[in-house]
Amino acid sequence: MISDNTSPDSLDARLAALPAEAAPSRDLWPGILGAISAAPRPAARPMSRWPFALAAGVGVAFVAGIAGWIGGRSQVPTVATVAPAATAAEALRQASFALPAGSEYLATRVELERVYHERLELMAPATRVRIEADLRTIRTANEDIRRALATDPQSPVLNRLLESIWQQEFNLYTTVARSSDPAAQRART
Amino acid sequence: MHATAQVVDFPDTAVREAAEEASAVGAAAGGDRRAFERLYRSHVGRVTRLCLRLTGHRETAEDCVQDTFVSAWRALSNFQSRSTFSTWLYRIAVNAVLARRRGLAHSFEVTVDTDAGELDRRVTTDTPAIDLEAAIAGLPDGARHVLVLVGLYGFSHEEAGRELGIAVGTSKAQLHRARRLLSTRLGLSEEAP
Repeated sequence: MISDNTSPDSLDARLAALPAEAAPSRDLWPGILGAISAAPRPAARPMSRWPFALAAGVGVAFVAGIAGWIGGRSQVPTVATVAPAATAAEALRQASFALPAGSEYLATRVELERVYHERLELMAPATRVRIEADLRTIRTANEDIRRALATDPQSPVLNRLLESIWQQEFNLYTTVARSSDPAAQRART
Repeated sequence: MHATAQVVDFPDTAVREAAEEASAVGAAAGGDRRAFERLYRSHVGRVTRLCLRLTGHRETAEDCVQDTFVSAWRALSNFQSRSTFSTWLYRIAVNAVLARRRGLAHSFEVTVDTDAGELDRRVTTDTPAIDLEAAIAGLPDGARHVLVLVGLYGFSHEEAGRELGIAVGTSKAQLHRARRLLSTRLGLSEEAP
């Protein structure tokens, strides 16, 4: 930031307290809609080798993520009601993010989902509902982007968004696993 | 019987908002104008505030907001999702303001602008904030632009310099100048060198 002067009356404090938004005096959307309807959109830049980079990047992310916390599984307390471990077939059916990847990636993916479901069961019901709602939102976004990609498969922006959604799903899984890891809980308290 | 573990600071709303925004950006990039309108509705307030602070003039600011969203629509296919959509929009807004400035040189010669004050009164009744907004609007263009981008919107000096077409050193000097002028006008103690 611009300085470390943080007294309530300081310039920085006053700048930070300024409102972030301002409503326009009128609705600007009709004018914008007219302008974007009148002019054709320029063609997108061509995509270059992106799918391969994505597949590799996501695969590495999953492997690295799992390597960080999968060891903690042994610390999960045994509980009477735990989600049954997803079979490989079930996990693949549920995975809306299927990638053209090898058996190593698929095995990693199956393990990731298994741990996610196991940890989710350890959470308070209200938290679980929130997380499941988030995952549904992510998967809805994934479906929307895939639909758009079906009509424009080479779109760089759509492919990048798909990558971003994949990353969000991975982050969600990782957050769930770490947040409900008993070792992590102890470290926080 | 369940053993439960509480999640601490689980980022639920951030995840949901990011996913919904990604969905809207994807649909808009595919040509869905309704999705783009949703993006407009959720970002117009912040973009308007940015343009108002950069121009110091409400009518010009709203023209720049309109230019920003039209340019964003046309450039959506090149949006890099490595930056956030709002950051990307801010950059387009800065370019829209500078483009208008080049075409309408005299519109940006503002003193303590009454338009900015009127707009603030509609947004907040906080008098010190109004005074500060008016003082910002009264800064010379160069100092105001750097203060807004670096001091309020989190641009680095490198990014601000790139957007404004000035050297990094000039950006730093302009920020110092802006802070000194604001401190003087608001009756605050002088900035440390």
